[in-house]
Amino acid sequence: MLINTGVPTREQIERRLPSPERRARGPYAMVECFQEIPCNPCSTSCPFDAILPMGDINEIPMIDHDRCTGCGVCASVCPGLAIFIIDESVGDGTASVTIPYEFRPLPEKGETVRAVNREGCVIGDAIVTRVLLSKKTKTPLVTIRVSDGLVHEVRFFNLIDDKAVSDATSLKRKEEPITVDSACASDDDEIILCRCEGITLRTIRDLIREGYTTVDEIKRISRAGMGACQARTCGPLIAAEIARMTGQPISEIQPSAHRAPVKPMPIEFFLGGDSE
Amino acid sequence: MMYDIDLVVIGGGPAGLMAANTATEAGAEVLLLERDGHLGGQLVKQTHKFFGSEKQHASVRGIDISTMLGDRLDSFGERATVWKNATAIGFYEDGVITVDHDGIYKKVKPKRVVVATGASEKFLSFPNNDLPGIYGAGAVQTMMNVYGIRPGHRVLMIGAGNIGLIVSYQLMQAGVSVAAIVEGLPQIGGYAVHAGKVRRAGVPILTSHTILRADGKESVERATIARIDRTWNAIPGTEKTIECDVICISVGLTPLAELLWQAGCEMRYIPSLGGSVPLRNNCLETTVKGVYVAGDVTGIEEASAAMVEGHLAGLEAAASLGFKGDRYSEERKDCMEQLAALRSGPTAEKIRTGLACAECL
Repeated sequence: MLINTGVPTREQIERRLPSPERRARGPYAMVECFQEIPCNPCSTSCPFDAILPMGDINEIPMIDHDRCTGCGVCASVCPGLAIFIIDESVGDGTASVTIPYEFRPLPEKGETVRAVNREGCVIGDAIVTRVLLSKKTKTPLVTIRVSDGLVHEVRFFNLIDDKAVSDATSLKRKEEPITVDSACASDDDEIILCRCEGITLRTIRDLIREGYTTVDEIKRISRAGMGACQARTCGPLIAAEIARMTGQPISEIQPSAHRAPVKPMPIEFFLGGDSE
Repeated sequence: MMYDIDLVVIGGGPAGLMAANTATEAGAEVLLLERDGHLGGQLVKQTHKFFGSEKQHASVRGIDISTMLGDRLDSFGERATVWKNATAIGFYEDGVITVDHDGIYKKVKPKRVVVATGASEKFLSFPNNDLPGIYGAGAVQTMMNVYGIRPGHRVLMIGAGNIGLIVSYQLMQAGVSVAAIVEGLPQIGGYAVHAGKVRRAGVPILTSHTILRADGKESVERATIARIDRTWNAIPGTEKTIECDVICISVGLTPLAELLWQAGCEMRYIPSLGGSVPLRNNCLETTVKGVYVAGDVTGIEEASAAMVEGHLAGLEAAASLGFKGDRYSEERKDCMEQLAALRSGPTAEKIRTGLACAECL
C-alpha cells in the first residue's frame, strides 16, 4: 500500500494511463498523485486547461489527455515532484520519461545514466536527451530515453560515477576496530533525560518511585528542566515517564510552571535596561 | 522606558509576518519581535516548493515566501517596526512584555498582542541519545540550508512525517546519504508524494520500527533499530544494526506556548495538535482579552495554514482597535474559507478533531 511503502501499486499506476491510442500519439503528463492533500498548482498552471479545475483543493488531480500536450509546465510546478512526462511515440523501441530532478550536478545531454524505478532500484540504462531549466520554479526537467518496456517503471536516474553520491555513500571509517566504550551507557536507566543539567532517567524514575509525581516537584528536587532549554526538550519526556509509571493519562500531567524569563539571563542584563 | 504601541507580534515566521503585514496594512502601528537575526522563522530553511493554493503561495519555495513577506513589511516604512535578535522573555499579567533586544532589556506595553512563537521539536529517550551526531531534524535543516554545513556522511532518520521525509530529501540534495527512515507507526505520516521522492532516490522507509539505541566511541557510529508491535514494544529477534554517523530525530513538534502560560491564557492538552494549546475563539483571541494567537503555537499544522491564521489574527487584532477597512468582512470570510479548504482533506483529520476541542470560546 502507498501509505505503508511510499510506492504506488501497479493498479494505481495503470488506472492513470491514457488510452493506447493517446499514448501512441505523443507526449502526455502522468500525474502520480494518489492521495487527497491540499494542493492545486497543477490544475491552475496548465496552459491548456488539461488538468481539470478542482472544486476542493484536496481533490486528486484529473487529467483530460485529449487536451494535454505533454508540455511539462505541471511537472515543473508540482510541489510533490509527482508529475512525469511520458513519450511513447518515438517508435524505435525506445520511449522517453521527463523527470523533475532537483539534484546537482545536472547530467548533460547525451550522457548515459542509470535508470531507476519507483523503489530506487537500478533497472537499466538511459540516455539524457534534454535538460530544461526553469527560472520560475527552479525545478529542472530532465528527459531520459529508455527501452520502451521500462517507460512505466523508470522514475529517477543515478549519475554514473557521480562524485557527490559516491562520496556520500562511503562512510568515513575510523582505523581502530569498533568496540562498545565502557563510558557509553548500556542500560536504559543511564539515558540522559535532562541534557542541560545532566539528569538521568534512573534519577527521574527513582524520584517518581519516592512519590515525586509532578514535573514541578521533579524540577525542584533534581534541577531537571532548569537549564538553558528550560524544559523544552526534557519536560515532555519527564511527563511521559510520570504518566507511564503512575498510570495517569498524559493529558492530566501538568507541565512545570512557566515563569519569566523564558531563558536564563545574566542579572546584569536586568540592571542595564533601556534608558533612552 | 516603556514602549507603547498598538500591536506587538511575537515571532517573525510565516504566521507572525502575515499578522504584522495585515495589521499594518489595516492602519495599526505594529512592532514585530524576531528572535533570530533575520525574518522568516522556519521558512528560511524550506528549500522545497510549498503545497496549498496560490493564496498561500503554493509551488513557491519557503525561502522565497519569506523574502516576499519580509519585503512587504519593509514597504510599510515606519508604521511597522521590526526588532531582530529580540526574544520576548516574559509576558506579565499587567500586559507588559519584556524583551531581550540585542542584549538590552526592554519593556513593551502594547494594546494588542499576536503570539506567533511557533513550535519546538520533540525528542526521544534511548540509550546514548546524548552522543554527538544526534540532532533534531530542524537543527540539521538549519546547518545545511542556512549555514551550508553538511551534518555528516550517512544519516538515519527517525520519523516519516512530512519533516522527516523533506529533511531526508534535502540531505540527499546536500550530498549526504540517508541509510533509512524509521517510523513507529504502521503507516507513513507525511504526504505520499514526499515519500515517493525519497523512495525513488533509494531510501527505504521502515514502518512499525523504532530506534533502540545508539552506539559509538566519541560520536555516533551506529544505531540499533527493531520492529515494534502494536503496543510499541520491540519484537525480540528483529534488531538490526545500521551504520551511520548522524541520527536525525523527527518525531513531531510541540507548540512553544510558554508566553501564553505566563499571560494566563487557558490551555488544553490536545495530543493531535502536538501538546498544550491555547483555547481561543473564531477570531483567534485567547481567554486573555487582547491576546491573539496564530501558527504552530495554536497547534501543529503546515506553514500554509500558519500564514492564513496570521492573516486572520492580524486582521482581528487591528479591527478590535478600530482599524477596520472596507475589505474587513471580505478578508475575514476569505481566511475562514482558506482554512476550511486546507483542513478539509483526509490528511487533516487529526487537525480537525483537535481544533474542535481548542476553538471552543
